[in-house]
Amino acid sequence: MDSVQALITQIQGLSSSAGDVSRLHSNLKQAEETIFSESARLFSALDQLDPSIHSLGYLYILEACSSGPLTKERAAALVLPISRFINACAVEQIRLAPEKFISVCKRFKDQVMLLEAPMRGVAPLLTAIRKLQTSSEHLTPLHPEFLLLCLLAKCYKTGLSVLHDDISEVDQPRDLFLYCYYGGMICIGQKRFSKALELLHNVVTAPMSTMNAIAVEAYKKYILVSLIHHGQFSTSLPKYTSSVAQRNLKNFCQPYIELANSYGTGKITELQTYVQTNKEKFESDNNLGLVEQVLASMYKRNIQRLTQTYLTLSLEDIANTVQLSSAKEAEMHVLQMIQDGEIYATINQKDGMVRFLEDPEQYKTCEMIEHIDSAIQRIMALSNKLTGMDEQISCDPLYLGKCTGW
Amino acid sequence: MASSSSSGLTFKLHPLVIVNISDHYTRVKSQMHPPLTATNGSDGVDNTSSSPSSSSSSPSRSPPPRVYGCVIGIQRGRTVEIFNSFELLYDPSTHSLDRAFLEKKQELYKKVFPHFYILGWYSTGSDAQESDMHIHKALMDINESPVYVLLNPSINHAQKDLPVTIFESELHVIDGIPQLIFVRASYTIETVEAERISVDHVAHLKPSDGGSAATQLAAHLTGTHSAIKMLNSRIRVLHHYLLSMQKGDIPCENSLLRQVSSLLRRLPAIESGKFQDDFLMEYNDTLLITYLAMFTNCSSSMNELVDKFNTAYDRHSRRGGRTAFF
Repeated sequence: MDSVQALITQIQGLSSSAGDVSRLHSNLKQAEETIFSESARLFSALDQLDPSIHSLGYLYILEACSSGPLTKERAAALVLPISRFINACAVEQIRLAPEKFISVCKRFKDQVMLLEAPMRGVAPLLTAIRKLQTSSEHLTPLHPEFLLLCLLAKCYKTGLSVLHDDISEVDQPRDLFLYCYYGGMICIGQKRFSKALELLHNVVTAPMSTMNAIAVEAYKKYILVSLIHHGQFSTSLPKYTSSVAQRNLKNFCQPYIELANSYGTGKITELQTYVQTNKEKFESDNNLGLVEQVLASMYKRNIQRLTQTYLTLSLEDIANTVQLSSAKEAEMHVLQMIQDGEIYATINQKDGMVRFLEDPEQYKTCEMIEHIDSAIQRIMALSNKLTGMDEQISCDPLYLGKCTGW
Repeated sequence: MASSSSSGLTFKLHPLVIVNISDHYTRVKSQMHPPLTATNGSDGVDNTSSSPSSSSSSPSRSPPPRVYGCVIGIQRGRTVEIFNSFELLYDPSTHSLDRAFLEKKQELYKKVFPHFYILGWYSTGSDAQESDMHIHKALMDINESPVYVLLNPSINHAQKDLPVTIFESELHVIDGIPQLIFVRASYTIETVEAERISVDHVAHLKPSDGGSAATQLAAHLTGTHSAIKMLNSRIRVLHHYLLSMQKGDIPCENSLLRQVSSLLRRLPAIESGKFQDDFLMEYNDTLLITYLAMFTNCSSSMNELVDKFNTAYDRHSRRGGRTAFF
């Protein structure tokens, strides 16, 4: 009991000022062995410590307690103290030992998943991310864990709030891959296909030295989302994709590329037969829901193509051209598209005619001015960052070596 | 060690020499920088005639290397004109410059520029040192009074002059012993047309921190901006004055009020809806064009960045092949 009590008093004593805290940190690092061996007794002594003042000591003890094999009883015992700790801890103290904080949070996520209550982990992990981040552009290893919990708990909106930040600093490449992949899935769940496309594009084109399972899965979803959102898909990847990805991704995603090809023909029946024949493959990748959305988007694509040829068209003709079963269904589709803002049209119900209109945006309003102005500010900041990066890489000895050593 | 020279020689320095010395120093310094990955960048680069003289091999925060070389030019009467320079190896064991190489180079230069002589030598650093006199004396058999050109590579934003000093050697009696010491000499910069064009080109490279406006458009816009700022502050003063007059803090001055009201009546009177529409549409068009210009600028810098990244880090980067740029 002696060493335990001594440790507790040490933590209580040395947690007031920054100098004391750094001394405490070095003491704790040396005392790691004892902390690990006495973890059970230390755990019961935790109520003598206040997580908001003695965060560093609390963190060390929690980390020792949560390591080791995971059982349901241990998980149930640890979940509440850890989430309370995350909410109350002091930011400067935990930033002294970020790896320990990250491992505690990861263990927390495992426990929450073991107890099959991912919802309990969402809010604490969000607080943990905000406390660990050095700036809003910093991607921590906790981001993908948080997004995974959001996906499992189906709280997509909370996940979206984190996805709004632009990222410019990454600790580990694997974090970026997982973050963008889960982020893409969350956006698909919220039907924000353009953001999903952007995130999945990042996974596919990120620098990688060998093939990556995450990138392969992301590429499959990328093809499907691109078909839903843009109505077309091209297999050529931009030149900043790594050469590994450019050569090998296509081989892993053959059925999806053929799906894209048959989508390109514009014939609904062909697409439907293709999907039927390859149903098991899509199902095994958990992409069947997306594939059905692709089918639905085919109708939309065909109706949109009609707007380019006709000014007015009857609902009957629409149904026939797009191969829908009746005029009523055509009306439903057109109505839905007008509501989503995908086409501009008016339906005259008396004679069943649809008149296609131009985009009514005149770009004369003050809101448009503010919109463009904020876009200009953003691009100025981006341009500055790019010139900074350009200068940095021009001085990089690796680049200079390759550049002049030909 | 430095007082004014009394030899009465006028020195003329060409920018080519300054650019050469600074380039030599930058190259050596960037090759000393430890490479970021396993492949040693400096191995692949041709390392012909320069090597850092400092013997420190620690990878971090070593003192900046000193580079050495020779300056050549023409001496006519009392005018010494330094045209060009070349690099030399410094041998730290004998504290002297590589003599054989120097003579070979001298021969080669004589064939192309028959009038050029070796006028002295150069080095980098903040001030002349004792060990430099050794090298200086060694050169005295080629030129009886060599010059020593010293470039200070540390960048000092407050300093407006060039960080280049020219030293001569003079025999002074110190403590009863006649010694050679370095004395500063004044110099002027002399340019040939080719040098003027290249220096002009370098001076107009856009700094990345968006410093003072170097282009005409930016200067014009800055002028307009300051004029509008001044107008704004004047109107604010008037407004404040009128407000305090309204509150009663200052006695009402009718003549001033009459002037303000006549000014207001001169403002443009169009307020109709159609004017608003057209005005906003034109305003939006101008904003869109600015946006488009920034976009193009950004895309081009992104393109260059991607090319550089691919050259540096992608093992089998495609050369010559074109893919569709997203």
